[in-house]
Amino acid sequence: MPDNDIDVVPDDVDDEWSLSRRKAVSAAGAMGAAALAGCSDSTDDGSEASDPLADRDTLRVGVLAPLPSNNPIGASIANGAKLAADQINANDGLDGTELEVIVKDTEEAPQTGRTRYGELIRDENVDVTVGVFTSEVLLAIMDDIAGSKVPHITTGAATPEASAKVNEEYDTYKYHFRAGPINAHHLGENLVDFLDAKIDEIGWDSVAVLVEDYAWTEPVSEVLNDQLADTGVEVAMTQRYPAGTEDFNPIYNEVENSGADAAYLAMAHTGTPAVIQWAQQQRPFEFAGIHVPMQLPSYYDAVNGACAYGVTQNSATPQAAVTDTTVPFADDYNEAYGSYPVYTGYISYDAVNQYADVVSESGDVGGNAVVSGLEDSSYTGTVGTLEYYGRDDEFAHDVKYDEELVWPVFQQWQPDGEGSGTQEVIFPDDLATADYQTPPWI
Amino acid sequence: MSNDNTTGGGGLARRLNPLRLPLRHRLGLLGLAGMAVLPRLVSTSFVVTLSLAYFWGVYAMSWDVVSGYTGQISFGHGVFFAVGGYTSALLNLGYGIDPVLSIPVGVVLAAAAGLIIGVPALRLRGPYLSLVTLVAPLILTQVFIFRSDVFNGEQGLSGVSPLFGLQTFGGEVAFYYVAFGLFVFVLAVLLLVTRTDAGAVLTAIREDPDTVAASGLNPSKFKIMAFVLSAAIGGLAGAVIVHTPSGNASPTTLMTITVNVEVIIAAILGGMGTIVGAGVGGILLILLREQLAGIAWTVPVIGQPVSDINFLVFALITLVLLFVMPGGIVRTAIIAGRRVLDRGSGEDTVATDGGTAPARRVYERYTDRLRAAFGGDDR
Amino acid sequence: MANILQFFVQSTIRSGLYALVAIGFTLIFGVGGVLNLAHGASILVGAYGVYFSVSVLGLPTAVGFLAGVAAAGVFGAILYLGLIEQFTTEPIMVMILTLVTSIAVELLVLNTAGAQPVAIPQFASGNFSLAGTNVQFNQLAIFVISWVIIGALFAFINYTRTGKAILAVSMSEKGASLVGIDSHRINLITWVIAGALAGVAGIALGSQLAASPVLGRTPLVLSFSIVVLGGIGSIRGSVVGAYLIGFLEVFVIQFVSSDLSGIAPLVVLVLALLVKPEGLFGRELAE
Repeated sequence: MPDNDIDVVPDDVDDEWSLSRRKAVSAAGAMGAAALAGCSDSTDDGSEASDPLADRDTLRVGVLAPLPSNNPIGASIANGAKLAADQINANDGLDGTELEVIVKDTEEAPQTGRTRYGELIRDENVDVTVGVFTSEVLLAIMDDIAGSKVPHITTGAATPEASAKVNEEYDTYKYHFRAGPINAHHLGENLVDFLDAKIDEIGWDSVAVLVEDYAWTEPVSEVLNDQLADTGVEVAMTQRYPAGTEDFNPIYNEVENSGADAAYLAMAHTGTPAVIQWAQQQRPFEFAGIHVPMQLPSYYDAVNGACAYGVTQNSATPQAAVTDTTVPFADDYNEAYGSYPVYTGYISYDAVNQYADVVSESGDVGGNAVVSGLEDSSYTGTVGTLEYYGRDDEFAHDVKYDEELVWPVFQQWQPDGEGSGTQEVIFPDDLATADYQTPPWI
Repeated sequence: MSNDNTTGGGGLARRLNPLRLPLRHRLGLLGLAGMAVLPRLVSTSFVVTLSLAYFWGVYAMSWDVVSGYTGQISFGHGVFFAVGGYTSALLNLGYGIDPVLSIPVGVVLAAAAGLIIGVPALRLRGPYLSLVTLVAPLILTQVFIFRSDVFNGEQGLSGVSPLFGLQTFGGEVAFYYVAFGLFVFVLAVLLLVTRTDAGAVLTAIREDPDTVAASGLNPSKFKIMAFVLSAAIGGLAGAVIVHTPSGNASPTTLMTITVNVEVIIAAILGGMGTIVGAGVGGILLILLREQLAGIAWTVPVIGQPVSDINFLVFALITLVLLFVMPGGIVRTAIIAGRRVLDRGSGEDTVATDGGTAPARRVYERYTDRLRAAFGGDDR
Repeated sequence: MANILQFFVQSTIRSGLYALVAIGFTLIFGVGGVLNLAHGASILVGAYGVYFSVSVLGLPTAVGFLAGVAAAGVFGAILYLGLIEQFTTEPIMVMILTLVTSIAVELLVLNTAGAQPVAIPQFASGNFSLAGTNVQFNQLAIFVISWVIIGALFAFINYTRTGKAILAVSMSEKGASLVGIDSHRINLITWVIAGALAGVAGIALGSQLAASPVLGRTPLVLSFSIVVLGGIGSIRGSVVGAYLIGFLEVFVIQFVSSDLSGIAPLVVLVLALLVKPEGLFGRELAE
């Protein structure tokens, strides 16, 4: 294979001309000049140029979600985006331009995510992509986002490695934004802020930090290691346990031996066996932190009440009017899909709405216009007011974490006395619906 | 064995002369030629799918050379893909070594892994060997999880440099030829190895190792050779795929239980012990899976679209096919092809055993006739 | 000293569960000479049988347990009649088919019950402190069940007609046929019993860890290690093997690193295969 032809185009040249030329050159390198004529099949998608909204009948929104038919996180991404589009379309679209949502299943696997992303760009010709759950999938498609030059708004992955790339190579990676959740560094800060505010009321002297070993938790661990002790609580034990852990017995034995009053968590993938074993074994310590499965509104019944008295951080819940639109959205969603969304639903809904806001404002759906539009945007959605850090910030294009903008809630599962349970908000205080309850077996 | 019975007389060059090749080989060459011009005819997405399919063809062929020929069934061939892929990816990520240089290192280490697993495995027979190979990828996965600071656990490594600096979007056709070139290269190498005397020895080992030993050959040597060759080729495929958009260095791409089973399924469905069959099986496996992924029809009882349960449907189809065509698609097709040809001549007495002299004669006669009809370009 | 006591308590508890997990696998390997890679699937069927009867259909817990065990037993029968019997002379084909079957079952569970783990009712709730370590009543119940089953199986095989026939078939299928034993029937009985035992193991595991679609994978590998270590087809050997592996694992967790717990049985398996493939209590494979 003659590869010398291909290397003549530097990777960082990113004007319109070079993209199509690069295509032609690589094709020629591979097939020989004779085949060239048949290969210039697709024209440039023109993301760099101005692309007036008024010329479009439809805008195509690509959505990447894991197993949207049986994973609530994936379903919320897909349905949140769809609901936003449906509501916009029902309202005459964006000055007559309709939004069309195309959902692809990442299966939570980096490689599948990459394949599906390629399909969205190649076959579906999308104007923007939204979604992605888990940092690993996001990191796997970052280079392809740079290559496609199609704006992408992350709504379910927290790793700051993505924003670091935007910061370091802005021109290449500027198409990436994160509407939520707040990045993993801020998730860690949020855990510290919660404990700082509530420690006296809850009354823990010491905690055991249990963090699952995935990409998203690395900054969380860093922040907790650095700052948790400043809140005045004793950190009796810190463990990053391996991905895919099923048996928490040995870990819980250690927690008990450490004498900690509570396990302070960062769990997403491994959360369910952890909470079921904690509850069924009636372990003598309390259970709080970031526990993604526990954010699911139907979780209480799914685990037969095992999550009772567990506390998790959450972006928004049907119980808390974080903004004026939070509860109406949750109700609309419930009406349309028969269940309440998880956090990714709120964020994806906001992301699509903010995108729509930006393009109808500028009237331009070209990549550059959308990027600068989002950079300048301040949009109040269901989880708070979405603004993005600038290109020179270490968290470039991540949603800002601030008490006035996006400030997650903490909620506790409390039994309702009728065999089921409710997600009661315990923090921040202005949204609180109940006081913290200690598990009865402690 | 369905492989050609013409071993013995004639030099290599004579055997490779297209004029003298039997019909099925000529069809095969025609197929390869067709695959070479395919990117001009089909959509870019299909080009991408096919690129992945060629890698799977190579995976299955690499499995076939050890398991199909020596009968040493490997349930963990993914280990070799993973050693090749991770080696190349880590060298590239950690030291910035160009894929063109890191891939060969991956191949060498994969070959070494073949030696490490192959030599001790010689002590074991049948299910015991299979157990070792079944467990090897599990151990490697545990190591990847334990040292997730290096290997990034179950999620694997991403951000590896693409081969030749190609781009995901715009480079699809070039990546197609990378994969296709790899496929043809491996096919040629393995056909050369298995269709020469070494292949006959390997087959004999599967049938009766003691006889082989009695004839003065050392079966162990041949088995190890097959293991190392197979591992090197698997490692090559793994090392190349991580530098293309078709795969990344992760257990999911390279060595989960699903990957290992699919490789076996591909080789068996295509036709074990034929190389060509395994290659075809690997390609068909991916095409079938992608087809299923595109079906939106909802399955009644489960209440989910086929696209969401494509692997389940695939597993069920596989179970059925294993029952219906235990010899594999290619073998079945060849036999069926012969039957059709035979029926044309009115000699229904020819059995389907695929190797008897009368069958051969009839078959040759018809290939000659077909050659006269279609093969004008050969002259 | 407290550490040592803790180690013994935790190891003993864990080993009981492991013996329960491996025993069905041993039985089938011993009698049919079949490496049943669908053993994990039987475990899954047992656990999710309980989940569906109790959490979905709302049946009483005890009925749910019975349903789970029965479902796993029926699954064993289906496996034998549908797959294994057709390929008795092709051990490799059996391995492949059982492996594909187990993947299909996993996917079926994933697509019907979802990817999230589900809670399985416990045999007993609450916990107590023993030798300075936490022991749950559920773990104790599993330990007791494990020994009751082992004892019952011993008695069944050594003192009943059917049991003796099973033993005969395991020694020589031809010989058994000569003395008038219907080996087909005996094989079928073995598969049903083994399936039901795997079902019990699945319920035990599920009640301890919560059930997920991949619940059967670790036990399958554990069973390999235990059975190979103890000797193929020897029930006594598997019990010893289970205890060795259980103690080893707890030792690694307690004194080395809990991150390595998954790898210990695998390494033992490979070493055992290489050093002493016939196992501690095994006989040479008849073939």
